[in-house]
Amino acid sequence: MHSFIDYIRLYFIIETQYIKARMQYRADFIISSVGMFFSSLATLGVFWIIFDSIPDLAGWSFMQLVFIYGFYMIAISPMQILFDHIWQLRFHVQQGTFLKYYFRPLNMMFYYMSEMFDLKGLTQLAAGIGILIYASLQLHIEWSLVRIAFLLLTLFSASLVQIAITLLAACAAFWVIDSYPVLGLAWKLREFAPYPMNIFDGAFRFTFTFIIPLGFVAFYPSQLFLQPENVSPIIYFSPIVGIGLFALAYKVWTLGVNSYTGTGS
Amino acid sequence: MSLIHVQELKKHFNVLNRREGIGGAFRDLFSGDYRTVEAVAGISFDIEAGEVVGYIGPNGAGKSTTIKMMTGILKPSGGVLQVNGSVPYDNRIRQAQIMGVVFGQRTQLWWDLPVIESFKILKEIYKVDQKTFDKHMNMFNELVGLNALYSQQVRTLSLGQRMLCDIAASFLHNPQVVFLDEPTIGLDISVKAKIRSLIKTLNEERKTTIILTTHDLGDVEALCHRIIIIDKGKTLYDGDIKRVTALFGAYRTLKLQIDPFDESTLEALREKLTTHFGAENSFTIAQTEEFWTDVTFDQAHTPLSDVLGVVMSNFKVSDVRIVEIAMEDVVQRVYDGALR
Amino acid sequence: MKSYLAVLRGSFMIGLIYRYGFLFNIAGNIIYMLVTYYLWKSIYQGREVLRGLTFDQTYIYVALGSAVFILLKTYVDWLLSFDIREGMIASYLIKPIDLQFYILFNSFGYSLMSLAAITLPTLILMIFVLHIEIPLGIGLALFPLSLLLAYLVSFCFDYFVGLLCFYTESIWGLSITKEIIVTVLSGALIPLQFFPDTIQKILFWLPFQAIYYTPLTMVAQPNLSMDTFLPMLGLQLFWVIVLFVFTRLFYNQAIKVLRISGG
Repeated sequence: MHSFIDYIRLYFIIETQYIKARMQYRADFIISSVGMFFSSLATLGVFWIIFDSIPDLAGWSFMQLVFIYGFYMIAISPMQILFDHIWQLRFHVQQGTFLKYYFRPLNMMFYYMSEMFDLKGLTQLAAGIGILIYASLQLHIEWSLVRIAFLLLTLFSASLVQIAITLLAACAAFWVIDSYPVLGLAWKLREFAPYPMNIFDGAFRFTFTFIIPLGFVAFYPSQLFLQPENVSPIIYFSPIVGIGLFALAYKVWTLGVNSYTGTGS
Repeated sequence: MSLIHVQELKKHFNVLNRREGIGGAFRDLFSGDYRTVEAVAGISFDIEAGEVVGYIGPNGAGKSTTIKMMTGILKPSGGVLQVNGSVPYDNRIRQAQIMGVVFGQRTQLWWDLPVIESFKILKEIYKVDQKTFDKHMNMFNELVGLNALYSQQVRTLSLGQRMLCDIAASFLHNPQVVFLDEPTIGLDISVKAKIRSLIKTLNEERKTTIILTTHDLGDVEALCHRIIIIDKGKTLYDGDIKRVTALFGAYRTLKLQIDPFDESTLEALREKLTTHFGAENSFTIAQTEEFWTDVTFDQAHTPLSDVLGVVMSNFKVSDVRIVEIAMEDVVQRVYDGALR
Repeated sequence: MKSYLAVLRGSFMIGLIYRYGFLFNIAGNIIYMLVTYYLWKSIYQGREVLRGLTFDQTYIYVALGSAVFILLKTYVDWLLSFDIREGMIASYLIKPIDLQFYILFNSFGYSLMSLAAITLPTLILMIFVLHIEIPLGIGLALFPLSLLLAYLVSFCFDYFVGLLCFYTESIWGLSITKEIIVTVLSGALIPLQFFPDTIQKILFWLPFQAIYYTPLTMVAQPNLSMDTFLPMLGLQLFWVIVLFVFTRLFYNQAIKVLRISGG
């Protein structure tokens, strides 16, 4: 069977070819990248406009929100770049073409997702990195090796949360015919991830922390760097939330795969 | 120990009894009202290495379901199923290493990539060593001239070219068994011949077991040593191809537009044919489509040209079509006991 | 005219079939409303008025903005580009109908369905759960007319983007860019009063505010005088006419291209 290294190597080979083939469509790549760039900054634009009228929002300065936003953009990039094929799942399932993924000696999620690599997502990643660096400079955050390690760890688990939420929603395609709305809703929810969680109270904060843990995509992990002296224990749960939620999503995916029968008799 | 061992294999599906309307759709969400559909109702056979088996039957017979169980997609509801000593459903990834699968219509190659890149990726996926890879690629080139297609993107290939590539690709990793589903569908005669020749050679040289599902009797005739006919989830016939070809190989259906046509025409037709050819040669005469009369007969006993001659000299025929016997008819005949 | 009404009824029916889509749209809308409620509550912390608007006024604007956003989403750019791609445009050209009007009525039916299904829960939530008061004023009476005009403007934009597909394969990128430009510059997310003054001045010259800012202001601040509202309506009407003419001209041009290159 394939080891982890095998999979990495295989992914590299497949995607190199894929990207080469996609580069034919240069115009599309540029236009899409531009579109993606602006759409991902829309909410930040809203914050910028709001802060023209107020000095702080729920105790947060503009630059702190920018930091959270940069964190958010990086965290959602793996989902965007690596799992983009998820949007086609309901078509493959309904038309029976999903069967082809069963026939190779490969993990099915790997095989399925490897068929698309969203280049324009790299624009979002680059923008996110730029914004994060800019904000941390403006905020005079001190970066030690330990802190950077924490940053990478929390980014990783945050991206798992985002992937898991989207994956769970997409798996509805295995059981429901008109499954797009579920995925569409999950996708829209991600817009709220860069919001500071303390604007919410009670039930809402609970929902976004424990039920659909959007808070762990950007806000809670960012606390480690923005207010290191005031870290709530929740934050240290980030990796557990990320890995746990992804494991759940993977389990649901497996259930869907095992129950799929294709079309025809 | 046979390569594929199937014993009393069963598969049933629970299908929701759907209700009408918005209210019905909502209630469906909570409904426990299912009916059980038995897709496969107890099939048994053993297939040895190197066999080429035609797996045929009408639509809805349970063919795809059996294949899906053999390839590890579906879990059997009952019975024994082993491929190469293992249960396919429990070992999908491991089994995939020794299997090849080709769909008729949809390619398993990478759509946007040049053909050769697909093969290279498959080399990595199946861990084929360089020597074997080169040997096989040479073989494919000798057999069907694959080199000429190397740099073309899969999506630019014609259907026939794509099928050839898909089939070749399925043999790349030297599988023990290859499942071919409708490999010649939609293709013209010359391409069909090429594909049949490719499959036959690969089976003979590599001793790969081949399981072929098809509606095309030409495929069956050209390739299969053995044929399994399945209908309504059960085996109808399992044995040598020769008996079945003897049954249908020479049958033809003459579709005629006879003008003028009335209730007496069918009888008159039957009378004329019996008079001319004798009662021992059976003709099936029916009207299956509006305006068309079907006359089905065995060419081995009553040549087509003779039959056509008799019909045309006695009736006014405004249009003629000649078709081979359909799969459904073969199955019907077997069902009616033609092979007992 | 009868044939167009039949088209409208047809798309209304299709809207009924995609009921889950509506359910989830409503759910998404409700969540958006609640999240923005908290957001703006925080923004207005300890302040009565910002940029001339009270919390209630701003919130009505933003909350209804999301419902209106769904309403005005015509999907025409996607539908048109899909038809072009699949070569189905030819079938439209054969029929004795005007393409632009056909597509307009088609999407209109769907939007009417949205109107019924989404706006109602939005209003219920706002008035009874969040206790926002919508003052009665002349603006409310003008709102439906303004909304209709806004729809027509939005339609023209989407139609234009859809037609661009005659020239390029890249419909996603164009569509997203259009959506962002329209959403941000039209005041869909925030009332235009919040924008920096210089930007505001530029925006008032552009057609975008005819899509969201104008109708939403009528509901958020219905007590403004007719002196304020009439010019706004007039401007909307102006843009509807200008954009319709423009897209028609563009369409004629594009059709020539299609006919030559063979759809």
